[in-house]
Amino acid sequence: MNKANVKVVKAKTKRVLNVLITYCILILVAFIFFFPCLWLILASFSKSGSIYSFDGFFPAQYGFDAFKSLFTDTVMYNYPRWFANTLFIAVMSCILGTFLTILTAYCMSRFRFKSRKAMMKATLLLGMFPSFMGTIAVYLIMTQFNLINQHWGLILIYSAQAPMGYMVQKGFFDTIPYSIDEAARIDGASNFTVFVKFILPLSKPMLVYTALTSFTWPWSDFILPKMLLIDKDLYTVAVGLMSLGETEFARFAAGSIFIAIPIIVLYFCLVKYMINGMAAGAVKE
Amino acid sequence: MRKTLPALIAHIAIILAVIIVMGTLGLIAAGLGAEENDKFTGEIERNVTLRILENDTAKEQGYLEELLNAFNEKYAEYGIKAVDANMDQYTDLEKGGPYGYGPDVLYQANDALMKYVDGKHILPLPIEQLECVDKVGEKAWEAYRAKAGGQEFTFGVPVNIQQPLLFYRKDLLPENWETEWDDDKNGVPDVIENWSDMYRFSQQIRRDSNGAKYGYMKSLNDGYFASGYFLSYGGYVFGGEDGKDVSDIGFSKNDGWMGGRIIRQLASVMNLECTEDTITRNSYSRMAQGTYFATMTTPDVYTLFIKEMVNAGYTEQYARDNLIMTDIPALPVSGDLEDESLGFKDMIAMGGVNGYAISSYTKAPNAALAFVNFATSYGMINRRSELLGISPARSDLAEALGGLNETIKENLDKGSIYVMPSVRALAQVWTPLQTYCATIAKDMLDNKNVYAGAEKLKEGIANVDKQIYDAIHTLGGS
Repeated sequence: MNKANVKVVKAKTKRVLNVLITYCILILVAFIFFFPCLWLILASFSKSGSIYSFDGFFPAQYGFDAFKSLFTDTVMYNYPRWFANTLFIAVMSCILGTFLTILTAYCMSRFRFKSRKAMMKATLLLGMFPSFMGTIAVYLIMTQFNLINQHWGLILIYSAQAPMGYMVQKGFFDTIPYSIDEAARIDGASNFTVFVKFILPLSKPMLVYTALTSFTWPWSDFILPKMLLIDKDLYTVAVGLMSLGETEFARFAAGSIFIAIPIIVLYFCLVKYMINGMAAGAVKE
Repeated sequence: MRKTLPALIAHIAIILAVIIVMGTLGLIAAGLGAEENDKFTGEIERNVTLRILENDTAKEQGYLEELLNAFNEKYAEYGIKAVDANMDQYTDLEKGGPYGYGPDVLYQANDALMKYVDGKHILPLPIEQLECVDKVGEKAWEAYRAKAGGQEFTFGVPVNIQQPLLFYRKDLLPENWETEWDDDKNGVPDVIENWSDMYRFSQQIRRDSNGAKYGYMKSLNDGYFASGYFLSYGGYVFGGEDGKDVSDIGFSKNDGWMGGRIIRQLASVMNLECTEDTITRNSYSRMAQGTYFATMTTPDVYTLFIKEMVNAGYTEQYARDNLIMTDIPALPVSGDLEDESLGFKDMIAMGGVNGYAISSYTKAPNAALAFVNFATSYGMINRRSELLGISPARSDLAEALGGLNETIKENLDKGSIYVMPSVRALAQVWTPLQTYCATIAKDMLDNKNVYAGAEKLKEGIANVDKQIYDAIHTLGGS
């Protein structure tokens, strides 16, 4: 074997080794992240229901009992109702929250008005405080508006709090050339027309991102629904699952798996818009 | 100047309007306070809906539905409709009640209900109007009495007595128990009669199974259950004649420290899980699997044990025949599980009296009282006992049912059940006690033996008393 061949073989071996090690690390990392999910999925198929009847780390017997009881045994734990409640709250909060966030961000990006900078600084500062700091105040305000034990109370809070995180959207709008607005205005377009007909179509990826984040927060939130919802039939999935009895672990696991479904569906439905939108602005043709 | 004058007038007008509104609201509130005592007129409100908060077991076993249907049928002519409040069974009336979101009638333990007295969240009841007034024993009523404005009132109606019971698997007793574990030949295994034999039997199980199985298992850090060991040797929670003097904390009083020694000895036949809540949660499955022979808990969870045994492959009948609930074993007078020379004495266990109370925020107090009267009638409590396995507070029913029901009633009357003091400060008791019990159990299991001697145990429990006192008097728990 001549020197050149040895070099080629060495380079090939190095490449193979490189790929092999990279794959090993990736598989290991993927396994570490995937294992809890796998365990939860397997636990949801536990026949006995209790975590303490497992044979070591995994259930001793498997069955669909937990999934069956999740949707049929609704006297104590009405999971279908909780699921519908959560979906309603999340969808409405998503629509209202996205609308308000986009408007706020557009406003801050395109208009110059008195106290604009002060407002931006104030929202930035307020956004640094965790939302649960104001829970008692929120509770008292909700009692005055008679919005305790009502889904609309939660929807209003989520929607009203969403624009606090407008900075990302503002950053995106800032990247859209102002000359587009000016050109449209010269042609007689109003502010609203500019926003709806020119800016929004260019902002699909940001709209999708905002909608996804506005949906996932109410979907998985626990603190606010726990505080504001009293009637068990109004519970969201997070609060409802926490109220399950000590021997209902399999049902808890099954319920936890089901709440991931809307997020996954939403992601797969919307991700193409995000990528298309991002790619659209990436190159000039 | 022209602009300032109307502005000034407008400001004054706004301030006056606010004062008038606030004043009116204040007067209305004062009026309500005065009316509070006259709420029970005897005239049942018509066409009202009563929200009833019951416990989950009552709902799960179908008792609540039966109760509501029976009541609604009886009071149909008044148009009263009692409905499930459909809230968490531990819903805090203080939180939602004042804003109108609480239930009208609540079923909870006496300590939970009586904490509402301070804020006037529950109504003093005219118990003389109730059918059960002379059927419920004096001790049970005492749990619901409190003084307000120098007068004593009753704020709840006892339904059932909660006492920790021993749960054990009869089929796991050794075949030769009649010859080996029944010294007094009374036909009852000694292991369930006294803690010394339970301790020895637990040691034997662990030896024979090479540590894979256990005899008695319980989360020893659970203050509610562990407090009984201290109370049995002369300790008490709060001093005073009525047991409500929060300036006197007494777990360490008399020979209370001996409770700590018992806890250490019991820990030695368990594992580290006894220092936290794991055993409380896994005892249903482990008992069903036969890993544990016995545990101590309240009778309301009996059905959970049965359910787990059925899940483990036993028939329901087999489970019911072999999962036995019985009175808790006696403790050695010596305060040492290995010294029976002085004989045994009844264990005093922390217990409670669950009952109904009526929310101060109800719009139909008389209808609510009618509901309480109906729900505490002989027939309904009997049905409750059948379905939920509760021990009724009604003496007539306890006697009629006999068995464990009568024993529990007797235990309450003779003082073997230490009813949880109905004072808000009780909330400050659990954490220091729990920490101490976990510490001494861990001390034994880790072989550190810091608390092996009497002096250290005395010092430890005295420190618990001090911590409770500090918590009450600095956190305002009184």
